Amino acid sequence: MDGAELVGKIVYTWLTLVLGFILLPSAFGVSLGISELYMKILVKTLEWATLRIEKGVSKESVLKNSASVGIIQRDESPMEKGLSGLRGRDFELSDVFYFSKKGLEAIVEDEVTQRFSSEELVSWNLLTRTNVNFQYISPKLTMVWVLGVIVRYCVLLPLRVTLAFIGISFLVIGTTLVGQLPESSLKNRLSELVHLTCCRICVRALSGTIHYHNKQYRPQKGGICVANHTSPIDVLILTTDGCYAMVGQVHGGLMGIIQRAMVKACPHVWFERSEMKDRHLVTKRLREHIADKKKLPILIFPEGTCINNTSVMMFKKGSFEIGGTIYPVAIKYNPQFGDAFWNSSKYNMVSYLLRVMTSWAIVCDVWYMPPMTREEGEDAVQFANRVKSAIAIQGGLTELPWDGGLKRAKVKDTYKEEQQKNYSKMIVGNGSLNSELD
Amino acid sequence: MGATHSASEEVRELEGKTGFSSDQIEQLHRRFKHLSGDQPTIRKENFNNIPDLELNPIRSKIVRAFFDNRNLRKGPSGLADEINFEDFLTIMSYFRPIDTTMDEEQVQLCRKEKLRFLFHMYDSDSDGRITLEEYRNVVEELLSGNPHIEKESARSIADGAMMEAASVCVGRMEPDQVYEGITFDDFLKIWQGIDIETKMHVRFLNMETIALCH
Repeated sequence: MDGAELVGKIVYTWLTLVLGFILLPSAFGVSLGISELYMKILVKTLEWATLRIEKGVSKESVLKNSASVGIIQRDESPMEKGLSGLRGRDFELSDVFYFSKKGLEAIVEDEVTQRFSSEELVSWNLLTRTNVNFQYISPKLTMVWVLGVIVRYCVLLPLRVTLAFIGISFLVIGTTLVGQLPESSLKNRLSELVHLTCCRICVRALSGTIHYHNKQYRPQKGGICVANHTSPIDVLILTTDGCYAMVGQVHGGLMGIIQRAMVKACPHVWFERSEMKDRHLVTKRLREHIADKKKLPILIFPEGTCINNTSVMMFKKGSFEIGGTIYPVAIKYNPQFGDAFWNSSKYNMVSYLLRVMTSWAIVCDVWYMPPMTREEGEDAVQFANRVKSAIAIQGGLTELPWDGGLKRAKVKDTYKEEQQKNYSKMIVGNGSLNSELD
Repeated sequence: MGATHSASEEVRELEGKTGFSSDQIEQLHRRFKHLSGDQPTIRKENFNNIPDLELNPIRSKIVRAFFDNRNLRKGPSGLADEINFEDFLTIMSYFRPIDTTMDEEQVQLCRKEKLRFLFHMYDSDSDGRITLEEYRNVVEELLSGNPHIEKESARSIADGAMMEAASVCVGRMEPDQVYEGITFDDFLKIWQGIDIETKMHVRFLNMETIALCH
């Protein structure tokens, strides 16, 4: 009897603490400064750890900055320049030089596949999962690491799981309740309140520290918000600062319940799987949504898949054909505190969430950017590229023309043929010249 | 303790054989593991997943070069089924830039090795000569992507180039003399005096200098 009572008391005090320190402040958008304190301590600890590691490692093998720098310096000169130069003798022989060099560069390091695995860190952040190169340094460091493990798994994890649980249940219950009300401005305000509170709770469930920049450019109603995609958490991060209408496929299970509840409170755009294939239908529905100026801005991730936050890949033109004003947003995570990238081929959703909840924190910067619209004479693809460049520059990410779909599929044949056509044009031009001289 | 000791021994051995630094070897090893899917050897199929390589017109010849016994120094002809990390590094070392501190003899040796690698790429039947057929084969592959170029143009380009090679190597030919093919010495003659260094090397970065400038 006593044991059960004790457990009951502990759970009771635990929940009251959680309620008082976290839930209520979230409802009012107020911060008690606990997270800031935690972050300060964390930063100091990691700095100390880095210095210890640097001292411990011998002078010869300096910290390897293999983060995004490759092992080779690629020859970026265009094909024409690379191929000329040795012409004059046998041009095919020399062209084989050029292509074999390019081939080897591709084999040693290609820009695409490295984007589908997590970024490597410059210095260790005391998580076992990021321990690639770093060996045993000193007992003090190991002690700090052990302490870190205890704190993360025994203190933070239960707290975060509780919060996540509370957050999601509140979301489902809250939106269902609000959905019962008739259409009115009160309903909209209440639905906003419910959404914001739940998102703030969920962000605290991840120990998220988010810095929003340029809030004056926050997406307005009737527009489309476009951002780079790293993980499902992106949605959470953006909706903490404003309400959006989501676009996506209808899922089953827990996600389905959440989706159905959310759509009662405010109009999101959920598609059946079969409808997703019909591009015209999708475009039509989205156009109808943004035509209504009272509806919330749509949130779209044009890359179509999760990329590891070191680069921005091709933006699919579908989102840019709808018309309307585009509000670009750049999201950049700080990998030192926790890796937010979801490698869907390696981890499923549950193990991903567990990994996120046992990291130190999720720290990221969100930059809102001035709205863009399609200009005269610009087609959807050019517009998409323009927006992509703007987001890449703002977020400090590299830009790649490759399609994120390459994670799972092979290069399209049309793309290959483009390159080969270019080359053949050059050869045949020279070939006919040679035969004239004979 | 024992495991790490022998690993660094291996690295030192590879350093000596191939000329790469230990940092570069470690980085290349990671790439090797990525390509092989954490297996100890790579097969031809493992090269299929590299998008950049798909665009290369002679990709099959490049992949073949990795398994060519002549390049791996394992025999006069034939293809290996799979290669391990040491073989991988051996092939990579053909593309290392020529060290300016080496003396003239060593520079010539390096150059010869690089040209031999390319010769092997052309000479697919390993008979020591690049025949007209083999040359045509290479030109056709280079132009393979373009459906508008007919086989005839590819052949005439190859024939023209072969005649030029013949005139360089053999000088004036009698009307009914048949040119059998480019031997390796002829190949060297064609490239005599022309600087191939910039075309045939990949700049492997020295990892330490990068770390210092951040």
